[in-house]
Amino acid sequence: MSNDQRQAWFARMMESGLENDIFAPSDVLAHATPDVLASHLPPDLLSKVLTASLAAGSMTPERVLETVTPELLAKHLPHEVLWQCIAAAAARAGVHKSVGS
Amino acid sequence: MHRGRGGKGGRPQVGGLVNLKGFFVATLSSALDLGIAVPDDVLRHVTADVLSIYLPRPLWARLITACLGAARVDARLVVETIGVPNLCEHVPLHILWGCVEEIGHRSLSGVVMAPASAPGSRPVGSAARPVPLATPPPPPASEPRIAVPPTNLGPSIPLPNADGDPAGNGGRVPPGQRFRPSTSGVGRLSATSTARRPQAQATPPTPPPAVEASAGGSDALPRGKRSPTEADFDLETYVGGKDDWKNALAVEDEQLVEWSASDEAAPPSDDRKR
Repeated sequence: MSNDQRQAWFARMMESGLENDIFAPSDVLAHATPDVLASHLPPDLLSKVLTASLAAGSMTPERVLETVTPELLAKHLPHEVLWQCIAAAAARAGVHKSVGS
Repeated sequence: MHRGRGGKGGRPQVGGLVNLKGFFVATLSSALDLGIAVPDDVLRHVTADVLSIYLPRPLWARLITACLGAARVDARLVVETIGVPNLCEHVPLHILWGCVEEIGHRSLSGVVMAPASAPGSRPVGSAARPVPLATPPPPPASEPRIAVPPTNLGPSIPLPNADGDPAGNGGRVPPGQRFRPSTSGVGRLSATSTARRPQAQATPPTPPPAVEASAGGSDALPRGKRSPTEADFDLETYVGGKDDWKNALAVEDEQLVEWSASDEAAPPSDDRKR
């Protein structure tokens, strides 16, 4: 499989997980920590995140993910991080007994 | 959907409504569409035993119908016939998660999935669209029996060219009225016999020396390259008898003279009259 395919799949999983409330933006940021974001997001995207937060007066996980969409998450963040988020959500949902495999 | 989260602050707690099935539908569908996974990956977890337990009978009927109508039954056929939404609707979620987990781990580890050319595993991507389930195998491109030349049922008559040009037969021009135009051998024998019998009866008065002078013998008579037929037998009988033609006529004349001139022939009739 190519990296583009895997990236698209992870983006779709993240999008579906958010749409179906499998995990929340806060769950995403629990794995995609500020250090991870700062280390992997490009400068222009970091700038947008900060600009949007400044304009709104606060920086919330929801607002971060409004800027850093699932496609951008899958594009810039390590997929292992995203997978941990998905696996943890699956464990919480009761479909997986061992968390973070 | 089940209650799995929904506490304050967005933390997942048991009790919130989540659409796990929708998530699995999207995850598995996109994995298959993108070539991340192949249908064999799904059937490794959603086995036939699992389907036999959890799949509703109407879906089983549809699956059996599709399998019966398909030229090849493989994981792709099963997954596409049932459909990912139906699989996610009826198969337990922990089984689906096992499938997704395997795909995810394999994706992260960079392990190449099963080759597309492996038996029973074909990627379901844009380049590998499913074929109709009831598509029959293509018929053979050509029927070898068509090339078999027609069998010669009659005698071995030399055939003219396809365009009817007799000159192609080695420059030899066969007589035009020699054979009837019908190419079929059916009825040719009876037609020839009826046509030649009056000819044979009318021929004896013709002078035989004309035949002998032109051809020099009975072997030079016009014949087709074919096996003898009943008509030929009559013709050869006549030809063979042309040598004794004068003798045969002389005997009959003598007999006629004797019968007409003898006295023995008249007395019986006279005796009867008496």
